[in-house]
Amino acid sequence: MMPFLEWLESTWLSTTLRDSPNIFLYPTILAFHTLGLAFFVGISSAIALRILGVAPEVPLAPFRKLYPVMWIGFVFNAVSGLLLLIIEPTKFLTMVDFYIKLLAIGGAVYCNRVLYVRRFRNPSAVDPNPLPAGDKALAGLILFLWAASITAGRLTAYDDPYTQWKTAVGTVMVSAVLLAGGYAAVTFWRLVRHGSVS
Amino acid sequence: MEAFLRYWMRWPSVEGLIYKYLWVWGVCQSLHFVGMVLLIGTVGILDLRMLGMARQFPPAALKKLIPWGVFGFVLCLATGLFFVTGIYANINVHPYVVLKSDVFLQIKFVFIVLAGLNLLAFYATGMSRAVDRLAAGEDAPPLAKFFAGASLFFWIAVMYFARLIPSGKFQP
Repeated sequence: MMPFLEWLESTWLSTTLRDSPNIFLYPTILAFHTLGLAFFVGISSAIALRILGVAPEVPLAPFRKLYPVMWIGFVFNAVSGLLLLIIEPTKFLTMVDFYIKLLAIGGAVYCNRVLYVRRFRNPSAVDPNPLPAGDKALAGLILFLWAASITAGRLTAYDDPYTQWKTAVGTVMVSAVLLAGGYAAVTFWRLVRHGSVS
Repeated sequence: MEAFLRYWMRWPSVEGLIYKYLWVWGVCQSLHFVGMVLLIGTVGILDLRMLGMARQFPPAALKKLIPWGVFGFVLCLATGLFFVTGIYANINVHPYVVLKSDVFLQIKFVFIVLAGLNLLAFYATGMSRAVDRLAAGEDAPPLAKFFAGASLFFWIAVMYFARLIPSGKFQP
């Protein structure tokens, strides 16, 4: 495996991208990776939140038209991600965290596809009330997998597993506190506003 | 003025937090991304609708998602403030020096301000109310489309220049 990765790192494409004197080249590839993420994960998360019960006034069916934007975002990410990988294959492909990131993204993409087929393919039955519990579980899973992808992606910036592990644990703790705090705040607000939790 | 800024920009408790806990910086970076996702996933969808995509959305309904975008922006603002006030603990450069000499960070701030002014103009010109009256399938007025296009352009520019910040020069 390692000789192959070293060969990959010595190819023309890898050395050109890595050693380019142009300071804009590498950040521009990174920026495309970020822009693709913003639109793909952004729209996907909005759909997931809506399915979980946020903003029920928003009709579900028109989201179908935004799937092409999501998939274009995904192509941006796949291409820029491959270029970033070719720059440092011996770093990324020997890192457990990187494989976790790939698994989380693969899972999220697969779940988005399943949700599309289940929910959006039949235009006459996009938005039944209530939505099936299975779709809500899928939406929750999508949000979890995106959070895992973003965290694992951030962690690839560190090269020692100890810092990665500490940061992963810290992320889980802070997320739990934020989610619990948010849930408590929303419950309290509903109690004050409507006099009941439902 | 410089002494004043130099004193107030370094926040000892933020620096202390970064020195003490290895994971704080990385967690804030992830939250910065989550905020960005929420902002683009709500404001971005409304912009695309005004530009004519997914026209079956009534814009007034889409605005119910905007509080999540505002929450995302606050998350970005809080973590961004954390990066600026605590940067000394990360790269041993004073935040005053970074803000004064990193042209990409300055451009990013300019685009954030432009996005804010664009939002103000969207409300001040009555376009926000005009868009609220649109039913499913109706086209937005040209001026609303202009604000929507500008909003997308400014936020994309913010993300692009953010990625260039580490390539900026930090000259004391």
